[in-house]
Amino acid sequence: MIRVQESAFDPGSEQRQLLEGRSDIGAVVSFTGLVRDFNERPDVSALTLEHYPGMTETALGEIVAEAQARWPLQGVRLIHRVGRLSPGDPIVLVVVASAHRRAAFEACDFIMDYLKTRAPFWKKEHSNTGDYWVAERESDHRDASRWESEND
Amino acid sequence: MNLTHLNQRGEAHMVDVADKAETRREATASGHILMKPDTLALLIDGGLPKGDVLATARIAGIQAAKRTHELIPLCHALPLSKVTVDFHLDEQNSRVEVIATCRLKGRTGVEMEALTAVSVACLTLYDMCKAVDKDMEIGAIHLDAKRGGKSGDYQRQPGAAMTPIVTGEGAAGQVSVGTRCDIDSPCVRVKFLAELRERLGVSDLTLPLDTLPSTDVGGLKSALAKRDARFTRLGEGRVLCAVNQVMALDATPITNDDEVAFFPPVTGG
Repeated sequence: MIRVQESAFDPGSEQRQLLEGRSDIGAVVSFTGLVRDFNERPDVSALTLEHYPGMTETALGEIVAEAQARWPLQGVRLIHRVGRLSPGDPIVLVVVASAHRRAAFEACDFIMDYLKTRAPFWKKEHSNTGDYWVAERESDHRDASRWESEND
Repeated sequence: MNLTHLNQRGEAHMVDVADKAETRREATASGHILMKPDTLALLIDGGLPKGDVLATARIAGIQAAKRTHELIPLCHALPLSKVTVDFHLDEQNSRVEVIATCRLKGRTGVEMEALTAVSVACLTLYDMCKAVDKDMEIGAIHLDAKRGGKSGDYQRQPGAAMTPIVTGEGAAGQVSVGTRCDIDSPCVRVKFLAELRERLGVSDLTLPLDTLPSTDVGGLKSALAKRDARFTRLGEGRVLCAVNQVMALDATPITNDDEVAFFPPVTGG
């Protein structure tokens, strides 16, 4: 299940819903990304996330489908928030369930790497010294490219 | 900034447009009429005593556009080549939205005609429904977009409450919808997102397809750069592009009514 929403989410409840009534799942890995109070500047007071409605859902769907093609997964839940968020707020959730831990760990890692380089979200950080758009990071592209070299 | 309808003595006068070049002009305006949910339901079901409300209001709007010069003192009589009046039944907000577009090849703009069409269509809706609802309220009549002419193109920037997409301190959400294209005048709808939108100072625009040197993304970039030097930025550095929400390259073809978005590298997660 993929959701793009303004409201907050509860990682525990999302994971419980994913696992409910299932006894075939052997491993579940959950990643929650949070808003930091420091990034390009040391005093980030808020963050605003913009996205491209329509394309966002499609892009996230493709990333999850790619993960399902690479690993034997039994369930995926992906939630990304948009709008204005404060430091400490959860921003993204990836929950991956599989029969075995390795697939769950790797698929969760993969989904986050691809999300950061392929899904149309943009962050604007608000700090005491002004607002600025967050720049892309070379390290995110290196992280995402790990999955390509291994499989080519 | 001068008010062109006042002469040097401050008196009202009609602007002499004889020497202005004839160009293709188009304007879109919209507004709405708020009514009780029961009234809207009757309107949808065709149960109102005066009959087909929307068809009547549409004809009224078109007639009004053609007679704008009789109503607004300093307006010229214009040979409009096209007038459309459309309705959107908004049950959620219990109102009817009215959208009018006027077009001509001529020497003056057609925004007054589009605004008049919306106003009179709204008044007609009131007249057709007043037997069951006297509390109806007409509101938010405004110009949405204007193309052609010396003063250049105009695209209304919706207020913060209406564009949830963020700029600065804004809230989150959606990209505003640009004007529609039609078969008679093929065009491409262009969006600029996030930092690119703020740097360019524009979020949406439409461009006639026949102004593109080649009907692909590269051609669109050239046409935009020719139109305004700001858009040369689209050819520089890391600017990404999607056609109909699928990642695209300069060679990706564009056809009528395509949605092309330009945006910076993504930074989510």
